[in-house]
Amino acid sequence: MSFDPATVAAFVDGELDDLTARRVEREAESDAALAAEITRHRALKAQLAAHYAPVAAEAVPDRLRALLAGDAVDTSLADRREAKLRRFAPMHWGAIAASLIFGLTIGMQPWRPAADVTSANGTLAASGALAEALDTQLASNQPQGGAVRIGLSFRDRAGRYCRSFEGRTLSGIGCRNAGGWSLERTMTGQAGSDYRQASSGALATDVAALMAGDPFDAEAERTARDRGWAD
Amino acid sequence: MRFEEELVELLPRLRRFARGLARDASDADDLCQAAIERALKSQDQWQPGTRLDSWMYRITRNIWIDERRAAGRRGVHAPIDDAVTQVVGEGAAEVEAGALRGDVDGAMARLPDEQREVVMLVLVEGYAYREAAEILEVPIGTITSRLARGRETLMHWLGEAA
Repeated sequence: MSFDPATVAAFVDGELDDLTARRVEREAESDAALAAEITRHRALKAQLAAHYAPVAAEAVPDRLRALLAGDAVDTSLADRREAKLRRFAPMHWGAIAASLIFGLTIGMQPWRPAADVTSANGTLAASGALAEALDTQLASNQPQGGAVRIGLSFRDRAGRYCRSFEGRTLSGIGCRNAGGWSLERTMTGQAGSDYRQASSGALATDVAALMAGDPFDAEAERTARDRGWAD
Repeated sequence: MRFEEELVELLPRLRRFARGLARDASDADDLCQAAIERALKSQDQWQPGTRLDSWMYRITRNIWIDERRAAGRRGVHAPIDDAVTQVVGEGAAEVEAGALRGDVDGAMARLPDEQREVVMLVLVEGYAYREAAEILEVPIGTITSRLARGRETLMHWLGEAA
């Protein structure tokens, strides 16, 4: 492997200049050890993001809100005990989806519409417009100004149909299973980030790591879509 | 937007950051509360036009680290659940690869404080190295070396397949 661990980490964190990032991407296409190292780092990042995302989706406790609402706050011990008992307030599922997006695209505006991702059994799945794009959109015929651009379609080593996509807030790879599109890779999308993200190149690296065989040509893509991404 | 309103918008993220530092949910909210109170008191030290989030993260982190140091001096150690203690024995270095698979809380709780805060800022909160360095008021090289150690340790404990 021709890059030191610090460079690999900086690559995954979007901290490399574009030139170096492209060198890492190119190298990863032929260097399995490097590609594996990148995947390992990404997996940790995704696991941490998914673990902490629900916290940001919880209702903010009243005692914290009240501090900023200008109301008088009773911070007596009894009240605080009660607040602790109530800390697991019912979660709002829309907020969870929003926070998942937020957790994965931190640094961007959290109030952006965020219904493109849901969480089920600890894994992320595409929903809404993203799921629809993965279901129906062809790379060879993308709608003008569409929110999502489809990249490559391919089969992974388990034989699943997978598709890479790029959007304003979220880019990644979805793989088709019985329940829909499971998001195997996610990364910050194209918009608004003030730190450098080589997301297209990083995505290509991830595709290469997942893909078995060649990416689909336009005809194979259309055929797979028309069959509903099922064998 | 009013200072208070901007702070309210930050709260969900701030609670997440605090949860990563303090682990226990109610301790984390106590930490947030202390941070908000301090921010309101020192509101005039925040310069409008600069990033409120970085400022709040710094306040939160400083309160947390002060508490940790005070607790350390008193000989109080953060409680660690029994299952993890059994796995770990005396030293975190003895945790076998993958032994904490899926237990992100347990793994984070075992990281040294200075690694845990960097992991939260960069890998969870998504700050650039430079921004994390500003929040923690350390050089960027310190960020990258702490991050590298924290990352390797987490990957080792949580298992490679994450």
